[in-house]
Amino acid sequence: MPPKPHRVLLDRFSGYADEAAAYMRRRRVSRRPFARLYYGGGRASDHAADSVAGGELFVAAGRLIEVAGKRSR
Amino acid sequence: MPDGAAAEVVSGDAATHALAFLTEMSPDLRGGAILDSAGSVLAASGDAGRWGEDAAALLGVADRAGDEPVEQVHIATEQGEVFALRHAGLAAIVVTDRFALASLLFFDMRAALRDLAAPLSTFSSPQAPKSRKRSGEAG
Repeated sequence: MPPKPHRVLLDRFSGYADEAAAYMRRRRVSRRPFARLYYGGGRASDHAADSVAGGELFVAAGRLIEVAGKRSR
Repeated sequence: MPDGAAAEVVSGDAATHALAFLTEMSPDLRGGAILDSAGSVLAASGDAGRWGEDAAALLGVADRAGDEPVEQVHIATEQGEVFALRHAGLAAIVVTDRFALASLLFFDMRAALRDLAAPLSTFSSPQAPKSRKRSGEAG
């Protein structure tokens, strides 16, 4: 007996949601700090934390994070 | 609009409304500032002096890292994420929690600066909108 059509839709939707949740979980675990700069025309450049520019960018970003403080909400 | 043309006409009140708009649109946002082309703080969520200094330092470092002025900056650290965007002579710098959605945040920042730089900015009106929705959002 074939499953009811709404069950097929529900199963498919649940599958997508599971995959999305797994992707987000993996992203949280595996994501490393990065510094990315974007220029006019869509060009972008990444700067590693152990490079001179990257180190300076992370220091400057750290100061801003300190100024912003913790979220009050 | 030529870059740098808008900053002279933007008021602090309008910038404050724009920052409030960004804060409302982005639940991950911890704080931010809007600067004019000279680096003066038009609006900030806390100590304007420190925001001005540290935002100028970040943009300076970012500019020196390449061979042309940077347009957008995205730095993700363990403690939070920093986004900066230049548009029409203005600059917006915000700090968010980790894993904020970068594309949405840049979209909102660009929309806020574009509106702020426009001659008839909705942020400049006495009844600046308390709540706005992203274009295309139902409601």
